[in-house]
Amino acid sequence: MSSKKSIREALLDHSTLLVLMGAVTIVGVVVQLVGTPLLKNIYTSFCISLMMVLGLQMFMGNSGILSWTHIGFVGVGAYVSGILSMQPMMKQLGVPNMYPFLVSLHAPIGVAILAGGLVAALLAALISYPLMRLSDAAGVITLFATLIVFHVVMTQWDNVTNGPRTFFGLQEYTTLWVALIAALATMVLAWFFRDSALGLRIRASRDDRYAARAVGIDVVRVRYLTFVLSALVMGLAGGIWAHFITSFSPKAFYIAEMFTLISMLVIGGAGSITGAVTGAVVVTIVREALRQVEAAINNAHVLPFEVFGLTELVLAVFMVAVLIWRPVGVIGAQEARLVRLKATSGGGRPAEADKEV
Amino acid sequence: MTDALLTVDGLEAAYGSIRAVHGVDLRMAEGELVALLGSNGAGKSTTLKSIVGVLKPVSGTIRFSGEDITGKAPEQIVKRGISLVPEGRDVFGALTVEENLRLGAYAVYERKQYQADLQEVFDLFPVLKERFSQPAGQLSGGEQQMLAIARALMSHPKLLMLDEPSLGLSPAMTDVIFDLIVRLNERGATILLVEQNAERALEIVDRAYLFANGRIEFEGTPQQIRERVDVAAVYFGDGTDTDACEVKQ
Amino acid sequence: MILLEFIVNTLSLGSLYALLALGLVLVYGILKLVNFAYGEYVMVAGYGLFLGATYLGAPWYVTIVGSLVLAALVSYLTEIAAFRPVRTKSMDAMLVTSFAVSIFLQNAVLLAISPRAKAVTLPAFMTDSVTVAGVTLPVRNILLVVVTAFLLAGLSLLMKRTVLGMAMRAAADKFTTTRLMGVPANLVISAAFVMSGFLAGVASLFWVSRSSSVDPMTGSGPLLIAFIATVMGGMHSTVGAVVGGFAYGLLFNLLSIVLPASMINYRDAFMFVAVILFLLFRPQGIVSRGYVEERVG
Repeated sequence: MSSKKSIREALLDHSTLLVLMGAVTIVGVVVQLVGTPLLKNIYTSFCISLMMVLGLQMFMGNSGILSWTHIGFVGVGAYVSGILSMQPMMKQLGVPNMYPFLVSLHAPIGVAILAGGLVAALLAALISYPLMRLSDAAGVITLFATLIVFHVVMTQWDNVTNGPRTFFGLQEYTTLWVALIAALATMVLAWFFRDSALGLRIRASRDDRYAARAVGIDVVRVRYLTFVLSALVMGLAGGIWAHFITSFSPKAFYIAEMFTLISMLVIGGAGSITGAVTGAVVVTIVREALRQVEAAINNAHVLPFEVFGLTELVLAVFMVAVLIWRPVGVIGAQEARLVRLKATSGGGRPAEADKEV
Repeated sequence: MTDALLTVDGLEAAYGSIRAVHGVDLRMAEGELVALLGSNGAGKSTTLKSIVGVLKPVSGTIRFSGEDITGKAPEQIVKRGISLVPEGRDVFGALTVEENLRLGAYAVYERKQYQADLQEVFDLFPVLKERFSQPAGQLSGGEQQMLAIARALMSHPKLLMLDEPSLGLSPAMTDVIFDLIVRLNERGATILLVEQNAERALEIVDRAYLFANGRIEFEGTPQQIRERVDVAAVYFGDGTDTDACEVKQ
Repeated sequence: MILLEFIVNTLSLGSLYALLALGLVLVYGILKLVNFAYGEYVMVAGYGLFLGATYLGAPWYVTIVGSLVLAALVSYLTEIAAFRPVRTKSMDAMLVTSFAVSIFLQNAVLLAISPRAKAVTLPAFMTDSVTVAGVTLPVRNILLVVVTAFLLAGLSLLMKRTVLGMAMRAAADKFTTTRLMGVPANLVISAAFVMSGFLAGVASLFWVSRSSSVDPMTGSGPLLIAFIATVMGGMHSTVGAVVGGFAYGLLFNLLSIVLPASMINYRDAFMFVAVILFLLFRPQGIVSRGYVEERVG
């Protein structure tokens, strides 16, 4: 790819990104102007999910490693930003056992969220290098075990997290606008990461890690750097989410939530940004619709018992159906080209449409 | 060739999105010894894998004993009488020689017949009798190849296919294996052999097909092939080089 | 006295963990699938006990046999309905499918029975204790060791002496070549799932008897134990699974003694950290077998 390109060519190269961003922005503006409060909430929550899915996609989609740990970094971002942004008085009220030095710490919300992301990235940097050496079954299981370690620490360390109890009292800072801008920024980051030097190398290592090693790519290092970067995004998303939901417990950063994120990525297609966005849209719609159905059934009292778990049940079936029907996800690994270009001016992406996720 | 045992028509096969074989036609009569020759990556092994059902063909038909077996599972094809000795002497290393042979007879097991077959295998390969209860992984390369062939014979195949039987064997052991192939053929076995060592294979086969880039370039008797093709080039070609297999004008 | 207690406890805990690990490895060995739904077979068997004993009031032996059959059947059904269609797709597709199956089964039970824990009535001998040489031991711990010994011996015979066992061992080594022998792929895979479910069922009997109750999340504990034990022991062999199970049982009991009371809640975290560190030095586990993994296609 030459560095000297006309603006037109550059726009065409990134047309998919621009269209995706445009769509997310327009819907956001419409929802903000005419939507009900419930719809605004759903859309804000969607934007935050989108940020998390894209953060996960940066690592999982490009490295091909199924990571369960990522939701843990969301938790780290949420707790760190919450501890920093809350008034000391609130903290004493909400978390009676908190270490005194943490109680006295205080920072503006923006700084707090940023710090949450940085702490998540730092933690990832400290623990993940050895994990990146493991592949296949051992890799999957250790990343899963790492999530459990996170969860145990979050539920037990009540001097910091209030233990398994609710951590409450955060200010509501995240509006639809904040979430939308964060999501758009993450889209841009994930998009350019994919074709960056690091992104290209990690994708090469996904397709064939021995071949990648043979051409001089340090697979472990490349995975490690990507993992840390994607943990940063997850941590930031955690801070933004925390200041939207305002109270939470360690349950929010565990298997069920990770399942939702992974299902978004799998259903849309982990290999591309378009896939990640599509998955987030589809799963959010299906989930919200099912929740309404569940609530309607329960409110109508037509059944002699409360309906629980229908949403997850259907999502699970849906996910398996997608895997059977189209294992690369609805979109697949190739970015949907909304403006088709001639081969000569195209972005020269490797032919990987048939590669499996 | 009126009563073909095996007929392959317009076979196309692919690994994922990478097409490895484009339109291959093969015929084999009962009792023939035929080789598929060509360089690495020319599509020979892919053709064998498609015949035996390990790889589902993209298109084309494969008929065996008059029956269409295209796209059937390997286990069904083995039952119909095709046996493949995979590349690299794929014996079950953790299982004993005995267990390897017992699994070879899986499709056709019948106690009396099995005992008789074992005796026959011991006659052909006395070394396997000595090693009967040892793990196959402890055998030498040549012994493993013998076991792999013996294992394939246990299912009484109407067609025996061997994928690179000489690969990684010493010249002396290669001789033993080639002699064995000839003997099996003389006893009436129909054999399809994939071999990179073209010169060596041409010494024993009735006919051969020359593969290059996933296509058949030439087909004929060893004599016809020697007259018209630079056999050394077939042997040393790297598969990407079409010229290697070009027919002499 | 304390030593005897420690030994019996470690043996029985190790037996339970070995059974759990073995069930997971049977499927992993052949399909190379880390089955996240494995814990749900334990959970389903637990509900089998609840339905048989508490709900229907059936005799205990009918209940136990029934719940073992139920676990094996559910395991088999998940294979046919979910894993078989994605088997030829990618590794990740199977992994994610197993996770979806797990979520499905949990929520199916949640929806059909109740989100709350259900009490399981067990036969008296499962809750009794005996005093041996001045040490009081629960009967079920001794029973667990005996049952495990019999199961391991039986399984070993099955794998060594029957053609199905040979085919399963061969398939765990070279799947495609096994099919070339005429062994149907579906047969060995289904057999592995049925045996996996059965072992989960046996383990469930002892797992559930510790708390005498079952809930939709009952499977998550056993799943983790099986994960960690198999990773420790080595994913590739049934021997590794058993060794890993006992090693994990020992580690667990040692940590329970060594850790100060204030840290006991972090025991799981310590254990996983220990295992992760162990893996860094020995990624292949305690028992390794030197062959390359083959994808099942």
